[in-house]
Amino acid sequence: MSSPSKFAPSAPQTGEPLARLLGVRKPLDARARFWVGVLAFALPFLSWCAVSYVPFIWHPQVLVSSAGDTKVTGEYSYVAEGDTVDLDVFVMRNRELAAAHAKLAEGKRVNPIYLQAPHEVARAMYTAFTTAPERTGDAWLHESLLQSCKVIFWGFFWSALFGVPLGILCGTFPFFARLFEPFVDFVRYMPAPVFGALMVTVLGLADEPKIAIIFIGTFFQMVLIVSNTTRSVDASLLHAAQTLGANKRQLVWHVVVPGALPGLYRDMRILIGWAWTYLVVAELIGEKSGLSAFIYQQQRYRHFDNVYAAIVIIGVVGLCVDQFLAMLARYLFPWETGQNKLFRVMRAMRRALPQRVLARI
Amino acid sequence: MFDDSIKLPSYLDHPPEVAEYFSEVEKRKVVLSIEHLGREFASADGPLVALKDVNFKVRQREFISVIGPSGCGKSTLIRIVAGLEEPSSGIVAVDGIPVTGPGADRGMVFQNYTLFPWLTVRKNVLFGPRMKGLRDDKASKAADEWLKLVGLSDFAELYPAQLSGGMKQRVAIARALANDPRILLMDEPFGALDAQTRASMQAHLLRIWQAADVTVLFITHDLEEAIYLSDRIVVLGARPGRILEIIDVPVPRPRSLEQFLSGHFLATKKRLEDLIHRCDSPLEGEGELEHG
Repeated sequence: MSSPSKFAPSAPQTGEPLARLLGVRKPLDARARFWVGVLAFALPFLSWCAVSYVPFIWHPQVLVSSAGDTKVTGEYSYVAEGDTVDLDVFVMRNRELAAAHAKLAEGKRVNPIYLQAPHEVARAMYTAFTTAPERTGDAWLHESLLQSCKVIFWGFFWSALFGVPLGILCGTFPFFARLFEPFVDFVRYMPAPVFGALMVTVLGLADEPKIAIIFIGTFFQMVLIVSNTTRSVDASLLHAAQTLGANKRQLVWHVVVPGALPGLYRDMRILIGWAWTYLVVAELIGEKSGLSAFIYQQQRYRHFDNVYAAIVIIGVVGLCVDQFLAMLARYLFPWETGQNKLFRVMRAMRRALPQRVLARI
Repeated sequence: MFDDSIKLPSYLDHPPEVAEYFSEVEKRKVVLSIEHLGREFASADGPLVALKDVNFKVRQREFISVIGPSGCGKSTLIRIVAGLEEPSSGIVAVDGIPVTGPGADRGMVFQNYTLFPWLTVRKNVLFGPRMKGLRDDKASKAADEWLKLVGLSDFAELYPAQLSGGMKQRVAIARALANDPRILLMDEPFGALDAQTRASMQAHLLRIWQAADVTVLFITHDLEEAIYLSDRIVVLGARPGRILEIIDVPVPRPRSLEQFLSGHFLATKKRLEDLIHRCDSPLEGEGELEHG
């Protein structure tokens, strides 16, 4: 071989670390992927910490610890001990006091009540679960959370139960696509919340209208998305199956459905996210319930730490469900990732073989 | 490209063993017959004739190639034989029974592999038998035999995505053959492969064809591939797609790579080149054809 280097395994990438990180469409290596992913959450969190804990960043208000000489009258004499006032008001008051040669007001710069510090939200994420609701009869946070999950589950369940088969039907037979899709497309443009009042009238004040709103919000989109995904199954697979003797029923069950399945699963993951969006509207119609009611209630009490805690909990629940579904997909659709045990052994073997032998395989 | 000083035999001049082979083939049963086949497409400029009056027969265990420039309708032809498209006129019959739609008697291998990605290699091969309701051990053993023949026994439990292009195409061949078809239709099966893999796949296909009792209709645009593999070559011309000539390949079997430089091989190649080149150049195209 005159040029052995051509077949040698490629040398480990060298070069400036930064240049390697910022390559145009160059995949990151495993370690960089992990740490940059951590950074994705760390950066927003660190900016939140900075705004909350570094006194000179933002902090547009002053919590008055001592009002100074309250006998001095003036435009700003309403500033009293324990108040939270805007910084410029506090400065003006002190100017009035200074002009009168009186004792100055003292205070600490704070953020507005709607910006809670990380430790306060963290504490609330625990205390919100352990604190009894202010009005007896209101739901505890864990009850609200469970209630929300229940509404989401049933709304999505009914939506998928009818939407997926109908979508597959439309994606498989142009006849059904023409029969259903124009109307579905028409209803799709009606925002689900506009059906709120109607649903309450028909279905009462309890969970049913809320489930119905989530159903309306996801079902019509689902039919169209599922039918598109079903249509995207490679037509040549259908031809191949036909030349192997598959009849119409077998084409649907043995080619269209398994071919569309991984795509449909991805669609469902995205649509569950939509269901959470409609949840917030759905829970505020009829009798308010679930996390949205909790957030609404806490906001009225100005317990913003609890509001943030509930919002973060929604995010965490959504992320966990999605990650769980993604993990499940690796077991459900091993052909998508090709990550079964045998494959790893085969890949290792292929790497061990010289290139010239490989070319013949 | 041919040096005129080298004296080539005529491509019509068959060595005795080849002549004997063809006279033996003549006695075999006709598997596929194509009669007065025509296909027109509607287009903005009026009807477009893709195929016009195509006639030929394929006999038991024959290996027939269809070759022609792009746009000559060779893919349309094989899709009509497979039943995936309908002819505008004429009849395609397998064992004398007219084709009305796709069926298990005409197995097909496509250029883009078309393996079912959700099935392992073994289950892909078992697809045809399973559609017939055969789910017993016998079917499974037969599938393993086919995988052995294409040299993929060790890969039975892998998914198609884990295979190379050449391996995928071997699975596709095994899958079509496991269904025990009367004729194997191959639509430019090696077109997507690199040159090296292509060469080894051609040798592989010849071995499979010799080992299995199978009739092959093979579409290609590669002249050497057609000569190397086939008993007869159907040469199609473009616009409209029609048969220019059916050539009985004068190269004796078993075929080998050394034959690529034999006189009979080169003479056949030159004839194919002349036919297809004439087809491509509109200036001298039609006029010359009238004489031929």
